Amino acid sequence: MSISGKSDANRWEELQIARLLFGLSLEEQAEFDEFARKMPAEQAELFEHVVASLDVAWSDPTSMPLPEHLRNAIRSRALEELTTKVLQPVDKPTLVSVSAVRSGKLPWVVAVVCMALTVLTLVSTRSIEPVKQVSRDAAQLRAELISAAKDLVQVMWADGPTPISGAGGDVVWSPSQQQGFMRFRGLTMNTPTVEQYQLWIFDKNQSEQTPIDGGVFDIDSDQEVIIPIQAKLRVREAYLFAITIEKPGGVVVSSRERLPLLAAVN
Amino acid sequence: MQVSILPRVARGETNAIDECLDQYGGLVWSLACRLSPTTSDAEDAVQEIFVDLWRNAGRFREDLGAEVTFVSTLARRRLIDRQRKLRRNPEPQSIDETDGNLAAPQSRSRMELAEDGIRATACLEKLRQNERELLELSIYHGLTQTRIAEQTGVPLGTVKTLIRRALTQLRNCMQVGSRLHAEGGVQL
Repeated sequence: MSISGKSDANRWEELQIARLLFGLSLEEQAEFDEFARKMPAEQAELFEHVVASLDVAWSDPTSMPLPEHLRNAIRSRALEELTTKVLQPVDKPTLVSVSAVRSGKLPWVVAVVCMALTVLTLVSTRSIEPVKQVSRDAAQLRAELISAAKDLVQVMWADGPTPISGAGGDVVWSPSQQQGFMRFRGLTMNTPTVEQYQLWIFDKNQSEQTPIDGGVFDIDSDQEVIIPIQAKLRVREAYLFAITIEKPGGVVVSSRERLPLLAAVN
Repeated sequence: MQVSILPRVARGETNAIDECLDQYGGLVWSLACRLSPTTSDAEDAVQEIFVDLWRNAGRFREDLGAEVTFVSTLARRRLIDRQRKLRRNPEPQSIDETDGNLAAPQSRSRMELAEDGIRATACLEKLRQNERELLELSIYHGLTQTRIAEQTGVPLGTVKTLIRRALTQLRNCMQVGSRLHAEGGVQL
């Protein structure tokens, strides 16, 4: 690709601006990278400098101080790393793109889940009480977990066999801390006396037919909801999280008729 | 002139962490709130940004620009990257967009701003009103070009053209200002 022509120069500017303001698609990013290899680095940074300067000019740090719990979480994480004298990045969360799940892997995932859920057996004593939904506290705890856990797994929810339109979010789970949170947007509010959501965790060290009960919970808001995971057994190596809709109190064996969300770990 | 914090962070000085959070915590948080769909997304983003900052502190060079601009650049990269990943249907809105009321940004006083910010604000005033508005919608409010077109009634192609023209003018203006400042202390 020549970058000497006017059209190439225009395209290069266009890509730089799109990258700064809106983000690039994979194809655009590849195109950007190709241009960037041929252009002096400082040229790619000029627009970035302009936008960053406006960001600074328009920011309002005094009226929007960093929340204390967030500051503490960031500080703890930083100091922990500094004391080891090595400023290492946090282990990159394992991210599974929705497209990956929806493409090649989905049939396999669905097959595993369906097979498992046909004979789904509760592995341990099951709590009848739904998981308490304490949004603000859960948000804080989730933020602290993400900051502190070096083995954090983070996966996006993807549509299951019976999807709920617009439902999404993610799951974070730390195997070492045996703690995790589900985050939902757009998941239909349920009436607890009629039906409840239930989380199942599929573990590589566990038979596919006996996933671990991750707790029964309710969605009582159309805003973002964060639910703590309450695994009833130790989760050693989770490879799939699944949400089913069950009768109040949850079930021991799922009929797998209603399975709106799945999150597969790479 | 403000003493740089990031080189001390890179050297592992623990008190530099607190100073960094004091100095830039509010900036990063306000950026994250503007460019994230929810508060918890903003919280996640801020943590990721500061991890990036600790990791890249050693790359900051005082001779190439202000520290605050370095922090802001790094924050925006991460936020746009997250925004892109999160962008599913429906398109995410920034926190301050959800109430439907897009307030105009308030520029900080000259006393508070680094040179880059002062220069950017001065150059911004030279743009046409509609160009300034489009920059506010895209940079400050984090709207996509499509949403800007919907909101303003300006055709999408024109939105792209005007944003690009405005940024090019700003870039040229800031380069001139920077050169004048370096040569003779003239400040915009």
